[in-house]
Amino acid sequence: MTTEQQEAWLAAMAQSLEIELDDARRAELLARFSHIAAMAAPLMDYPLDERLDIAGVYRP
Amino acid sequence: MKLQDLSISELRGALVRGELSAREIATRTLHDIERLNPHINAWTAITAERMLQEAERIDALRRSGQPLPALAGTPWAAKNLFDIAGHTTLAGARLLSDRPAAARDGYAVRQLHHAGALLSGMVNMDAYAYGFTTENSHYGATRNPHDPGRVAGGSSGGSAAAVAAGAVHFALGSDTNGSIRVPASLCGVFGLKPTFGRLSRSGTHPFAASLDHIGPMARRVADLAAVYDALQGHDPDDGFQAERPLEATAPQLHRGMEGLRCAVLGGFFTTWCDDEARAALQRAALALEARDELQFPEAELARSAAFIITASEGGNLYLPELKRQPELFEPNSRERLLAGAMLPAAWYLQAQRFRRLARQKFQTLLSRADVLIAPATPCSATRIGEQEMIINGQPLPPRASMGMLTQPISFLGLPVVTVPLRASNGLPIGLQLISAPFNEQACLRAARALEQMGITDARPAEITP
Repeated sequence: MTTEQQEAWLAAMAQSLEIELDDARRAELLARFSHIAAMAAPLMDYPLDERLDIAGVYRP
Repeated sequence: MKLQDLSISELRGALVRGELSAREIATRTLHDIERLNPHINAWTAITAERMLQEAERIDALRRSGQPLPALAGTPWAAKNLFDIAGHTTLAGARLLSDRPAAARDGYAVRQLHHAGALLSGMVNMDAYAYGFTTENSHYGATRNPHDPGRVAGGSSGGSAAAVAAGAVHFALGSDTNGSIRVPASLCGVFGLKPTFGRLSRSGTHPFAASLDHIGPMARRVADLAAVYDALQGHDPDDGFQAERPLEATAPQLHRGMEGLRCAVLGGFFTTWCDDEARAALQRAALALEARDELQFPEAELARSAAFIITASEGGNLYLPELKRQPELFEPNSRERLLAGAMLPAAWYLQAQRFRRLARQKFQTLLSRADVLIAPATPCSATRIGEQEMIINGQPLPPRASMGMLTQPISFLGLPVVTVPLRASNGLPIGLQLISAPFNEQACLRAARALEQMGITDARPAEITP
């Protein structure tokens, strides 16, 4: 995601969730989101088998 | 004789022999807290009346010649996200401070009450359990008893500080990404994060349900095992609890290292720490004859996935209040939570599916060693207010990164005991002893072995007013 795409995503989310943000909060939100986006990128590139389910608790 | 010099078993023995009364233990503990808390800011509430009532119950049992329960007369403290009847469950948040009081104790608190423990009060934490330093903007920073200018770690910082100060024998914490293991490491106490799903979490304020654990901290391995054993039990109210029978660990401790193979967990875990953490690791590895170093190449991705799951679930949990009264959130966390609430579902689900794969891959390591050893924190406690720590040549924020070595392991849901060593500057630094699911006894036995060899150091801090 580019910075522009992140800004657009956050604007759409804020609108759909009905959250009003001033410039300072919007900038901080973008910084936080960008940090997570950087972590998500390699994870999203990691190939997972389509039959791989989500993890639950361990079974004895 | 100081109470802190006695183990839980010795305390119970003194009660049985009539050398101490539970009331005396309670009053001395309350006095100690009054003396120590101004220096460490651990307690956010003190439950003196309840403690004295619980003590009276134990003394009544003693007077009537009935057997005393396992934790009889043992003073303890609860992270303030556990429900305590008659008190508002804060979870470190001003946001929650106006909520109604809890109608009854949480499951773990009930277990400890039945086991005869004496609740001293509730202790500080990072707001919402979202942080690794317990620098709480509303309730103040909890100070490290070994150096009051430094953080106690978090998010269960009050729990670790209360135990490290010697005021109580044990405390309960919670651990989503490292919140038991990080403060245990920085305050120099033992901590146990059990297998995900092993202990009931009902009656606690959640943070990220997919990752939340609860567990104890103590200054002795035998005490840690005794409390863990008392916490076990089937709770129909916890939908995440694994179906597993009770397995007492305390009777296993005498077995020591019998049949246990240890190895060092290298790669990510020995790269993202300082020389003091590596030196502590070497001392423990030598003592436990851990000659092999194993790698978990997916560790960094596991950390990222844990970060995403936490952000998403925590953000979702607080979204209604973020919309309704954002001004009540502490500035450090508000946009962090909001960003989590706005993550694409694809990221969250990828992280959850990757979790299963990561568990499968880590299983290979656990077939080669029964206990894996890794640093618990990248370094010793940073100073209160410090915004950066340099690890592996990179500046990192302690509040978010002090748990970078614990996050991948809780993501896997594996049991871990944190053992306290000392760095060359005298500050505590902890190591993680990691084992296979439901093999808590292996971690505890390895911890006990290190304790008996004198490798660990959990002496209470000397706090002189």
